[in-house]
Amino acid sequence: MKISHSPRACNRLPVLGIIALALLFIFTSCASHNLPSLGGQPGQGALFEPENGTIAASPEQTGEGKPLFGGVSSPEPVLTEGEALSLSKLEALARQHNPTLAQAKAQIQSEHAKALEAGLYPNPVIGYIGEQISVRGTVGEFQGGFIRQKIVTAGKLRLSREKYQARASAAELLALAQMYRVINAVRMQFYRTLGAERKLEVQQELLETAEDRQVTVQEMFNVGQANRADLHQTRVLRQAQLLNVQQAENDLAMERETLGAIIGLLQPLGEVTGKLEAPLRHLVWEEALERLLAESPELAAAHANLKADEIMVQREKVEPIPNLFIEGSAGRNFEASETVYGVRAFVEVPLFDWNQGTIRQAKADWRRQRNEVRRTELSLRQSLADWFRRFRTALQKVTEYQNVILPQSEQRYVTRLKSYRADRETWPGVLEAQQDFFHRGLIYIDQLVAWRQAQVAIDGFLLVGGLEPPAGVVPPGHIDSVPKPR
Amino acid sequence: MKKGLSRRQFLATSTAAVAASALGGRDVQGQESTAESRQKQANGPDSAQSSFSRYSRYHPSFGGPPESDHYLGKLVPGLRQSGLPPVPFEAPDLGKIPWRMVGGVKEFEIRCTPVKREFLPGQFMNVWGYNGSLPGPTIEAFQGDRVRFVVHNELPEPTTFHWHGLELPVQFDGVPGLTQDLIPPGETYVYEYDLHQTGTFFYHSHVTMQESFGMAGFFIIHPRIAYDPPVDRDFGLIFQNFFISPNTATPDSMAMNWNWHTINGRSGPYTTPLVCKHGERVRIRLMDFSPMQHHPIHLHGHTFWLTGTEAGRIPPNAWVPRNTTLTGVAMAQDFEFIAFNPGDWIFHCHMTHHMMNHMTQQVGPRIRQKVDVSRYLADLPNRPPVESSLAQPAFEVPGYPQKMQGMEMNAEAMRKLNERRETRGMRKQWHEGVKGLMTVLRVLPEDLYNRVMHSEEAIQPGEIFEAVARRK
Ligand SMILES: [Cu+2]
Repeated sequence: MKISHSPRACNRLPVLGIIALALLFIFTSCASHNLPSLGGQPGQGALFEPENGTIAASPEQTGEGKPLFGGVSSPEPVLTEGEALSLSKLEALARQHNPTLAQAKAQIQSEHAKALEAGLYPNPVIGYIGEQISVRGTVGEFQGGFIRQKIVTAGKLRLSREKYQARASAAELLALAQMYRVINAVRMQFYRTLGAERKLEVQQELLETAEDRQVTVQEMFNVGQANRADLHQTRVLRQAQLLNVQQAENDLAMERETLGAIIGLLQPLGEVTGKLEAPLRHLVWEEALERLLAESPELAAAHANLKADEIMVQREKVEPIPNLFIEGSAGRNFEASETVYGVRAFVEVPLFDWNQGTIRQAKADWRRQRNEVRRTELSLRQSLADWFRRFRTALQKVTEYQNVILPQSEQRYVTRLKSYRADRETWPGVLEAQQDFFHRGLIYIDQLVAWRQAQVAIDGFLLVGGLEPPAGVVPPGHIDSVPKPR
Repeated sequence: MKKGLSRRQFLATSTAAVAASALGGRDVQGQESTAESRQKQANGPDSAQSSFSRYSRYHPSFGGPPESDHYLGKLVPGLRQSGLPPVPFEAPDLGKIPWRMVGGVKEFEIRCTPVKREFLPGQFMNVWGYNGSLPGPTIEAFQGDRVRFVVHNELPEPTTFHWHGLELPVQFDGVPGLTQDLIPPGETYVYEYDLHQTGTFFYHSHVTMQESFGMAGFFIIHPRIAYDPPVDRDFGLIFQNFFISPNTATPDSMAMNWNWHTINGRSGPYTTPLVCKHGERVRIRLMDFSPMQHHPIHLHGHTFWLTGTEAGRIPPNAWVPRNTTLTGVAMAQDFEFIAFNPGDWIFHCHMTHHMMNHMTQQVGPRIRQKVDVSRYLADLPNRPPVESSLAQPAFEVPGYPQKMQGMEMNAEAMRKLNERRETRGMRKQWHEGVKGLMTVLRVLPEDLYNRVMHSEEAIQPGEIFEAVARRK
């Protein structure tokens, strides 16, 4: 219900003063919310130090020209033909080219934009009024204009802005998470590619062994120590091993393609260079879990969202506190042939709708988010258990392969070779030991890759999937969709 | 033929001939005629009607009809006189067990022990034997002796002693359970009895697996006066087999196949040659203590008479002439012959698998061109490319290759082979043809015998062999 007053004559100067004041207020509000700063937000940083196997977040200013995440607009780096790619080079390329990082950056900008919009003061309404036209032959009793301004009360705009700033913080944390996802994915894929390169070499050695066996059995056939069925079998084994080589070639080609995709380059990649082996580091479950819960960007984002939801509850609670609408008008009373002024004020009375539903909804969202924090913790714990199991198993296998299995298998091969040289061993016996040695090598490479991947995952807060879309700030089903964010 | 015969006849006078030749006094024709004239003198008036009846200890000759005592040198005596005690028994590479007289009894002390035996230079095998030796050292005694054996079991498991072929009181026969309790580890057991037999006997453990592990030795009982015709040499050889996998030094006594072959605990060419003088009468006592292999034993260049078995002496009218004789498991055979034919003669089991050691298939880089195993060892994760042997034209012949490519002997092994006095002056690569159950009988003219066995002057490889060959 609006309380309306007829425009009436009043002092011209005070009315103009009100209008001027109102406009001034509006413009200053505008100005004070121009481009909210992004500086000083928690979790901002870039991922450095690719060589030592840990991801370190180092602070980086995010001013113009030096964005948090490299821009997609940067010129495509030209990889020279057959250039050997180190891990640090690949990470640098990914920071530059992976589209999800740009997406994550856009999401931050989007949340900041909402914060800006939510805090903007409402615009005044300016209009023309012609009343009682033709009365007594005049053009109207009142011909003039009015200006109406909504006066926002109870800090609604401030709360709205804070809420979206909290959301922007969450977006920044999620962008950091996305950076981990990308870098982790690059590292994992790097080790997979490296492993595929090494496995191809071993499979080629095994092919030579299979070819040797074929020649050997033909030699044996010539002296009656093997028969035709044995010859057939060596061809089967040789051909099967050739298929293994082809599969390894396919694996390597596709690992390289995958690596290129994660980085965001369409250009074919060459050989990657690096070491699968590194000093073996033991991890303690309790320490890994503690670090994860303390530093996970995902969990930090969930907390930031919880803060936003707390603010949202506050915001919705103040919503029913009426805003004041003030209207001033000025015109000419042609009946009285004089200039007149009018003033009106309105207020919405929260009689039926005092926002009780939305408050309840906001509280529900807040409760929901509290459980989202809890869910995130548990999900991280579950995921860590899975990665930790892989890590521990792979570490144990790598350790034993390094300490016992590979040296012993090698010694077995050496022993048989020397024995053959001393005329005490058959060549098929040597080939068997050689084949075992190479097979153990294949298993070892698999375990190295598994160990590296698990280590990257655990060091990188379990954030994997460098081409998954960056997580949105707001969980699905969250109330938000109003033209004017509040 | 005549010329060849003459050349061999010449060897009878080799020493004089060499001296004369060195003086440059005679040509070849002259030497031959001298030898022929000597032969005529020796044969006397009836040489024309029985040119085959004469037997010479210095050159191949028939010795008369089979009924003749000289047929193939059958009863031709050695250089030693009759009526003397026997010559000492000699088993190359084996010792003898010392004894002491205790109250009129010859008392021997024997320990049952684990043994590390060097089958080939540098290849020490873990076997069991007696007094640290495989086979055990020889027990040498005389007919009529009373003997006592104080046996200490130093093995980690029980054992007994059996006296193979001896006719002795049953309580000393050494069969576990049946005649005595096993001798526990660390304990001592005493056997004592009289010897009324003569011949080639042996002792061994009566625990089967211990037998397979090598626990046996000679027990030679001599007559007080050597049997006629007396021999100048009395050699003994024990043949054994073992299965020893590549890269282990311990035999598998359960195995059914046998890849290591030893004579007196060594494999050819590490077996020490039997060296005798040209013209001597030689006895070789051969005993087969293989777990389950019989050995057809073959001597080159000579025919020998089978004069004894593990049961003792065979009456001369039952002697059998042979070049090859099958000696079965746990059997002994005594061979006697006149060493009329100078040279280095292989003496071996004729089973082909016993003429090789640790035999392996010959396929692989060994027969491929330009491929050496060292290339594999140099870079283990990257094996060298396969080279096809089949491109060699020889592979068009099925059955190729048959040649055993021979174990490479390193310098140290070669030194061990040739540092033995018995091998001096043999051909440089003599070891290539002496493997497994093989040894060499060296029949040397006296001057060469003395150079080899007694002189300290340097002898070049092949020098003695070539000297012998030159004189033919
Ligand atoms: Cu044999």
